[in-house]
Amino acid sequence: MANEIHPSATPIVAGPAPKSALTPPRAPNVPADPTPGEETVTVNIDGEDVAVRPGTNVLEAAKLVGKDICHFCYHQGLSIAASCRQCLVQIDKMPKLQPSCQVGVRPGMVVHTNSEAVLKARREMLEFTLKNHPVDCPICDKAGECTLQRHYMDHDHKLTRVDVPKIRKAKHKDIGREIVLDAERCILCSRCIRFCEEIPGTSELTMVSRGEHQSIDVHSGQRLDNAYSLNTVDVCPVGALTSKDFRFAIRAWELSKVDTTCNGCGTGCAVELHTKHEQAYRVVPREDHSVNGHWMCDEGRSTYKSLDAADRVRHATVDGEQVALPDAIAIAAKRLRGKHIAVVFSATATNEANLALAQLADLLGGERFVLGRPPGRGDEILRDRDKNPNSAGALAATGAVSKHEGELALELAGRAYEAVIVLADSGELSEVSLGGLRGITSVCLADRHTPLADACTILLPAASWAEVLGSYTNRQGKLRSVQPAWRAEGDRKHRADLIRDLLLAMGQRDVPTARERTQRLAEAHQHRQLSRLAQDPTPARPTLLRWANSRG
Amino acid sequence: MTIGVKKVSLTRTTRDQIFLPAIFEGLLTTAKHFFKNTLTPGMGDIETIRYGDPDVDVKDYYPDRFRGVHRLMYREDGSVRCVACMCCSTVCPANCIAIEAEDRNDDREKAPLSFVIDELKCVVCGFCVEACPCDAIRMDTKEHMQPTETRAEAVLGKVDLMSRGGPSVAVQGGVSPDYRAEAPKADPRFSHDPR
Ligand code: SF4
Ligand code: SF4
Ligand code: SF4
Ligand code: SF4
Ligand code: FES
Repeated sequence: MANEIHPSATPIVAGPAPKSALTPPRAPNVPADPTPGEETVTVNIDGEDVAVRPGTNVLEAAKLVGKDICHFCYHQGLSIAASCRQCLVQIDKMPKLQPSCQVGVRPGMVVHTNSEAVLKARREMLEFTLKNHPVDCPICDKAGECTLQRHYMDHDHKLTRVDVPKIRKAKHKDIGREIVLDAERCILCSRCIRFCEEIPGTSELTMVSRGEHQSIDVHSGQRLDNAYSLNTVDVCPVGALTSKDFRFAIRAWELSKVDTTCNGCGTGCAVELHTKHEQAYRVVPREDHSVNGHWMCDEGRSTYKSLDAADRVRHATVDGEQVALPDAIAIAAKRLRGKHIAVVFSATATNEANLALAQLADLLGGERFVLGRPPGRGDEILRDRDKNPNSAGALAATGAVSKHEGELALELAGRAYEAVIVLADSGELSEVSLGGLRGITSVCLADRHTPLADACTILLPAASWAEVLGSYTNRQGKLRSVQPAWRAEGDRKHRADLIRDLLLAMGQRDVPTARERTQRLAEAHQHRQLSRLAQDPTPARPTLLRWANSRG
Repeated sequence: MTIGVKKVSLTRTTRDQIFLPAIFEGLLTTAKHFFKNTLTPGMGDIETIRYGDPDVDVKDYYPDRFRGVHRLMYREDGSVRCVACMCCSTVCPANCIAIEAEDRNDDREKAPLSFVIDELKCVVCGFCVEACPCDAIRMDTKEHMQPTETRAEAVLGKVDLMSRGGPSVAVQGGVSPDYRAEAPKADPRFSHDPR
């Protein structure tokens, strides 16, 4: 793309107007706690009466009294198969043990989840499941977050009684773009099959053979290549499906997690970022019924790669020389004043940063642009065509004046400005436009080295999305929170705080800090969690993953 | 089993207060051993290892459970036994084991690309050996870590560790064909054991 000018035909799609609204995936099974005012059903679970929403199942109802009935095949976001029989419970007036995932609550039901018979059934089902299981936990990627391991430790904890050779099946079979299958470890719960049928609707997976030889496979001639395929790795209770990208990178128990928002597109799925020592290893979805249900797309999972330590901007540079941050701020403040300026907002930066830049733009005047990643593929499930997490927020912060990024490219190439301030390092500009940045005062708040950042004459080290507390506005207009996974290293600072420093250097008083801006936004949107975090960011600290498979 | 509490009186008697009787008792014990070891032919019950004597291999005198420098064992085909499960690096209290895993692209799937132990940080606790599910790491070399001129030399990599290694015959997973006879009973330490 050497000399082409970035086509102005690719404007940032922002605001809710031109696109299909998001319909969050509906989970077939909802949590059992009743919404206020709803009619309820009272059931008795282990001697405790509890009022639950009618139509829910016993397994969900038991969660309300703090009983996590051990199960494999049931998943809140998928239809019920009741095939694993791990969730058996005793219900008065029913002659046999019942699968709690499938039995709906009835008024006056009396359930025992820990009786002698239930414990025995649980243990025996587990032994059955383990009969042909290879138990190669040392080389299994799921170890540490494996449901089978957890249930074994909690309920069985016996040596094997099997003294015949185990059935061998396909090991490390490459079944898709992102996924490796180990058929031996599969416990045939069919969650992955149901996922592919019900969410992307592509049905690539199936069971083949019968009896002991039954195993999971792709339909002949197909590959598990849908845009949501990695969710099968999350729903798989064992290590049968593993992600090629995460495979062998690190053990699950070494990771810490922080709840944040995916910045891959305008949907803003709720995700967990898994990290160790200032290095990110994966992104997995978090439950949020108002946006993404239990799922996220495969593209979004690779967003963590932008946090690679090798590319990080750690110190300020002015004209290629490393400078202490306060000096760089002072130089930038001096050079930006009284010039014909272009203020470039960013659809990938937080609301706080964009609002701070708006304040600077009010002071300096000049032309306002919004720059972001070019659009990509969207679909009706979760993915948005707009690959920026905060187009709506950036546009709202920019205010009325706004030109297309295509025009920015042209004007930069034509040297129409004396100074430019760019809020973030993402966005694709052609070589010619980047060349236009080199000759003038161009300030970039960059967290990593990109062609755009490196073309600018003043580089201010900004904290990446894994280092800040902030918010995006997604395509539904919802405020989505971003939380820090580690403390920003070097001189890196929240973009809003860097701009605050610039404003202070220009003689402004009473400029709110990033945290104060977050607080105000949270209050305006009545986002209680974000508001709490803005007051006291301690709970945002990453927690170590232990028995991490809470995602099903 | 019920755990009883033994009550010890802490009041001092006059005899304790004087201290001298206790001192003389101690001296008497020492003197008894001194005379026994000096006067008995064959030197009584002490055994002195004569370091440096060419006929004496110090290792013969070390107990079997002596913990020396680590070594990594190998399989029949000469490849490293370790499967990079990270159990040892997780359990290590000194945090001195650093392993990077790689895909072997065969049925054994996983192997360490690099395996580094910083012997200077190691507190020689032997937890890593206990934790290893594959009999891959051992400390039975009966070698002390030799002083080195630089710190870097005390950081042993996979090649160093394997150079001390040997073939391990343990069945993967630790279960031999007649495991029924050998199998330990349910571990009483796990109190939530349902049986
Ligand atoms: S699936 Fe679970 S139990 Fe099976 S080998 Fe993997 S970690 Fe171990
Ligand atoms: S591969 Fe995993 S999710 Fe699919 S059936 Fe087997 S155990 Fe269940
Ligand atoms: S002996 Fe102890 S301190 Fe040394 S490497 Fe092994 S676990 Fe770590
Ligand atoms: S515990 Fe054993 S198999 Fe696992 S990484 Fe350490 S040496 Fe290798
Ligand atoms: S049968 Fe209920 S969870 Fe599988």
